[in-house]
Amino acid sequence: MIATLSHHPGRSALALGVFYLLLATPIARDWLEASMSRHMLVQMPLLVVIGIIAARLVPGRTQDSLLIRFGGAWPCVIAALFASSYWMLPRALDAALTDPWAEVAKFLSLPFLVGFPLVLAWRRLTLIGRGFVWTNFFSMLAVLGWLYIVAPVRVCNSYLVNDQENAGWYMVIASVLLFFWWLGTLLVGGGVGPDKPDQSGPGRTFA
Amino acid sequence: MATYTYTPVPDQGAKAGVLAYLVISCVVLLLMMLFGLLMRMEQAQMISIGALWFYKIMTLHGAGMVGIVALAGAAIMWHFLRQYVDLSTGIFMANLILFLTGVVMILASVLLGDFHAAWTFLFPLPGNSMGMWTPGAAALFMGGLLVIGVGFVLLHLDIARAIISRYGGLGRGLGWPQLFGPDDGNAPPPAVVASTMVTIVNLIGLVVGASILVMMLVNLYVPTFEIDALLAKGMIYFFGHVFINAVIYMAVIAVYEILPRYTQRPWKSNKVFLASWTASTIMVMFIFPHHLLMDYAFPKWFLIMGHIIGYLNTFPILIVTGYGAMMIVYRSGIRWDMCSRLLFVSLFGWAVGAMPAFIDGTITVNYVMHNTLWVPGHFHTYLLLGMVAMVFGFMYYLGKPNENAPDSALDVAAFWGFVIGTMGFTMSFLYSGKISAPRRYAEHLPEWVPYDKIASYFAMLLIASVLVFIFRFLTRLGLASRDYQRASLARSMAT
Repeated sequence: MIATLSHHPGRSALALGVFYLLLATPIARDWLEASMSRHMLVQMPLLVVIGIIAARLVPGRTQDSLLIRFGGAWPCVIAALFASSYWMLPRALDAALTDPWAEVAKFLSLPFLVGFPLVLAWRRLTLIGRGFVWTNFFSMLAVLGWLYIVAPVRVCNSYLVNDQENAGWYMVIASVLLFFWWLGTLLVGGGVGPDKPDQSGPGRTFA
Repeated sequence: MATYTYTPVPDQGAKAGVLAYLVISCVVLLLMMLFGLLMRMEQAQMISIGALWFYKIMTLHGAGMVGIVALAGAAIMWHFLRQYVDLSTGIFMANLILFLTGVVMILASVLLGDFHAAWTFLFPLPGNSMGMWTPGAAALFMGGLLVIGVGFVLLHLDIARAIISRYGGLGRGLGWPQLFGPDDGNAPPPAVVASTMVTIVNLIGLVVGASILVMMLVNLYVPTFEIDALLAKGMIYFFGHVFINAVIYMAVIAVYEILPRYTQRPWKSNKVFLASWTASTIMVMFIFPHHLLMDYAFPKWFLIMGHIIGYLNTFPILIVTGYGAMMIVYRSGIRWDMCSRLLFVSLFGWAVGAMPAFIDGTITVNYVMHNTLWVPGHFHTYLLLGMVAMVFGFMYYLGKPNENAPDSALDVAAFWGFVIGTMGFTMSFLYSGKISAPRRYAEHLPEWVPYDKIASYFAMLLIASVLVFIFRFLTRLGLASRDYQRASLARSMAT
């Protein structure tokens, strides 16, 4: 996929821009934001994925110089962690629905403060750093899901309690599935090894 | 068809980090054994420390023993695995620092904060102390466990990285191409297969453990975020059982690596060996329900799964390892010294220690036996005469002055003291279980006290023997880091 993107960067960027605008249309927003599960687990991850793909379209040298400007891999990871954590807060979801500026902030911060810096950092993170980010993500996604399931009150004014519980269950299920996918990549090894050096970075990969 | 011949390998000395792990293991192990002795003497009415101190010591003894055997096992695994793959010393030391940080937190929680809810920290006990300890003390205990867990996650991520870089994937580290295809004789050595298995199961266990610890920390301060008690128990036992199971799979690497040096016979990574390790990789994650058989509220299929897989998982690695050890020792002309004796007896301890668990894993037996001293009888045999014997065998191997160095009479006496002391101590547990003495009781009925006294005397013999082992290792620390031939050649090979 990375190879395909790098072969046609112009067309890919155009397609990505169109998709981004499509997500921002009132119809798409209304439908995706009508339920908490779609809002948190479809729209937001898609915005992050847009940032990830956008970063991959940037030439390697530019990525490297941006990474140096941003202070290296760990500042980028920490920025992504903070920005994504903010959008996990129920009141942030409410704000995005009621305040247009918060909605704009969501559409800008998730691609550019989460997806984009994560890709910049990923190339430079050691396999242990990547593994640490992943294992932390799996356990905390499951815990967040549990918090949404057992919360004694309705945490968002804009969504019903059953929607909140559904979102929690989907997070738990997603964390389990993602964890097993990641373990699968460890078992298979992603083609890395003595005969097949890693192509995606400086000789280190963990998905 | 693969052929297996023994290729002599040099005996490498231990890195400073491995020695640091082992020295800390010696100190903590001894301290925890003394704590154990205090508890048995309290039950035997030989001393009077009171219920509060009994449960504080029990909490420290449980958490401390699980942690320290994991640390010692990690030292053995790391020492031999680094001879095959490129491991990071920095991560190895980071694990030690995080471990010590966690230990300080746990000690503060118990000794200063009076936390005494046992190492199992079962929900909702940590948050419902009835004024016996503060939420801060409970948080410090669980935070300490979390910090120790983070250290082990880092260590296993580094091991995974190294195995993937060398072999191309953890599946290859388990020898799947040779297991499911033709055996070309190029399967990874047993040390790599065992480390791969431990890494897979511990990563899963630790992620689950971190999740329940964070959930309980949230619940501690915001109780309205309720936790399903059965879910919490299931997650805690999954994490705890996988972690404590994994320690013997780390330590058994000493047997795989050292016994062949004594017998000059190879330990084969053949199809049967690989199949047993792959089977146990899966089964070790599903046997923990045998600790939950009394929780009738769990779904029936879950408990039946624990019963059946508990039966199945008892055997693959144990039989393959025990049979393999007998095959490479049989008529090999092996020269018995402290190292080879301890490693060989460790397989006996492992086999004998697994049997009470096998019996207790039967649902009808479990209803009667599980909350008795039968269960401590099981895991003390398995850990002391199995896992800990492997650790001491490894220490004697590292510290042996030269390949022909004789053992002193004191060491040989300590060996027999260790074996007899452990057997007497653990048999007292098992017999107390048979007469229905409950586990985790500070005070015992008069009918149970004689067995507690017998256990205390055997525990004293055991600790005296361990003191000799530790003293010998500490006096030979200088030798332990050097590279030279340690293992005595078998008589058939010696010139």
